[in-house]
Amino acid sequence: MNKKMFSVLMSTVMAAGLAVSAYAAPADSESVKKAADEGWEIAVVPKDSTNPWFVRMKTGVDQFASETGVDCYQVDTGTIDAVAQAQQVKDLIAQGVDAICVVPVDIESMDSALKEAKDAGIVVIAHEGASLENVDYDIEAFSNEGYGAFIMQNLAEAMGEEGVYTTMVASLTNGSHNEWADAGVAYQKEHYPNMTLLEEMPRVESNDNGDDAYNKAKELIKAYPDLKGIMGTSSFDAPGVARAIQELGLTDQFFTSGTGMPADNAELLKSGVVKSLTLWDPAIAGEAMVDLACKVLAGEAIEAPVNLDVDGYTEMNWREGSETVLEGQGWITIDAENVDSFGF
Amino acid sequence: MNLKKIYSKNREMYRLLGIMVLWLIFMAFTQSKKFYTGANFLTMAGQFPEYGLMVIGGMLCMMTGGIDLSVVGSANMASILCALTAIRLYGAEGSMGAGGYILFFVIAVIVGLVVGTANGLLVARVKVPPILATLGINELLTGLSVVMTGGAAISKFPKEFCDAFSKNIGGLLPMRVLVFLIAAVVIWFMLERTTYGTKLRLFGTNAHVAEFSGMNTTALILKTYITSGICASIGGLMMLSSYASARADYGSDYTMKAILIMVLGGVSPNGGKGKMSGVITALVLLKLIESGIRRFRSVSDYYVTLIWGAVLLLALVLDYLSTRPKKAKA
Repeated sequence: MNKKMFSVLMSTVMAAGLAVSAYAAPADSESVKKAADEGWEIAVVPKDSTNPWFVRMKTGVDQFASETGVDCYQVDTGTIDAVAQAQQVKDLIAQGVDAICVVPVDIESMDSALKEAKDAGIVVIAHEGASLENVDYDIEAFSNEGYGAFIMQNLAEAMGEEGVYTTMVASLTNGSHNEWADAGVAYQKEHYPNMTLLEEMPRVESNDNGDDAYNKAKELIKAYPDLKGIMGTSSFDAPGVARAIQELGLTDQFFTSGTGMPADNAELLKSGVVKSLTLWDPAIAGEAMVDLACKVLAGEAIEAPVNLDVDGYTEMNWREGSETVLEGQGWITIDAENVDSFGF
Repeated sequence: MNLKKIYSKNREMYRLLGIMVLWLIFMAFTQSKKFYTGANFLTMAGQFPEYGLMVIGGMLCMMTGGIDLSVVGSANMASILCALTAIRLYGAEGSMGAGGYILFFVIAVIVGLVVGTANGLLVARVKVPPILATLGINELLTGLSVVMTGGAAISKFPKEFCDAFSKNIGGLLPMRVLVFLIAAVVIWFMLERTTYGTKLRLFGTNAHVAEFSGMNTTALILKTYITSGICASIGGLMMLSSYASARADYGSDYTMKAILIMVLGGVSPNGGKGKMSGVITALVLLKLIESGIRRFRSVSDYYVTLIWGAVLLLALVLDYLSTRPKKAKA
């Protein structure tokens, strides 16, 4: 077989593989069928089940359960609290579930609880917790560098690629948020020479809270007249900043972009206070976690590219240098045009 | 007749025991496989000492008619100081011996002493209402903790202490429960077998009378708040061992939980009344209900808060109905 024929054959195989994987539904997957037959119990623990983000995740998990018959469910956690979340995970361990999927509030306290889970032989899948040690796998909708750069592209477009900006994260201890912010800043340095990071306050905290984000933004705008934009990361950051922009009458003078839920922010986008928000769909992330849990429970070998049977997660690759963190391509832009098309 | 006497001697406790039995029967019928397992009971037992310690110390303050809202602040301050000290002495990757454990407890006692003295002096000497004094101290402690840690969790410190206190003795009794029991026995002894307990109840019933009867009320209040501070700080050590990390905002909802348990356990918020047995029963009951409810998937954790509120109000109403003076018979 000559080289050319080989490459044609390879690309045909790959294209066929892609075509199959892109349309695969979780219900057709072998491991998922097995999980349903065996009655494995898979619990999803969100950060804060009152947050619309995780309400959306619950719909994904519930849908997965009803479509495939797998015994999976999302637990209610009440408000965000690291200690309460760790206790809830310990309760699940005592209860003897087969797999725990978790979106950790705090890496450190969760890691010690997850160690107990691993010791008890429970499969642990994390999401947005790349630095957790005691997990089987952690899945990220995308590489943090990719998403951080993606937010920065949106912010830069709104700011006209010039001016002073700063970054906002839920907390300085949050794993993913800080990596996005770092990546956004790195991308700006490389691609937008006319933009500069606010040196005095390069990173501020919103505590995953819209009011905190709003107050922080107002303080920043007052204290630093040069400031022209804020890169948000948590789903409360950009919307909170937008409220400040709106209230201070700074539309088209001060800009923000970052993660945000469509339905909650439809008015902000349509009125032009925010040009665009970025997102991945937490419902699909929830489904992907459960799907991966099924695969691990069924004893399937996890080799890149991993296909988790849901959109944006069909070609998961290892994060560089990691054997536990899988990254997909699940990002999307929301703007005034498409905001109503998501249905959440 | 005899039974009635026993009941009326410790009404709060028997009432709670009754509720507990009903709940356990209910769980046996609905979730027996998932609830009645050794692992589940060990998990529940391992979880309550951290706030249990805050409860049994804070109960003394409530018996004086005061309150200690600085328990969570003291706990986090103690655990952060311990973690930082361990890093300083043994290095972040180092290991520590039994001397380190003793050091941790010494640090906790010192934190408790300092916080308790500050609370006690504010209440007894400066005459600041206990709610405001202890709330202020709590904010101060939390603020200091945030400054010391930069708001982040400390997790890289020698973990021997955490491992040792996460163990179960003989596979049956969690170390943390042992610590809790020792503290509970000490406080029970203070309350029931020393003059301190009598004075505390007298002062709580009527502070003026206590003062005019020549009691050193400042010393009494100081002693009370210091005991509460030490208990809370040891609670902080238990949190440190449980989560293998320390952070300024761990356990922020424990204050409300602790107060709920005290009142449920028959400690009168007006002072003067309270028993160790009632409080411990309330502590166990609440943990059984909380973990039990989590076994029901369809019941959200939000209902736990709702049920706490309902249980508390029910306990208060029952207390009122059973203690109000009977109408004189015609």
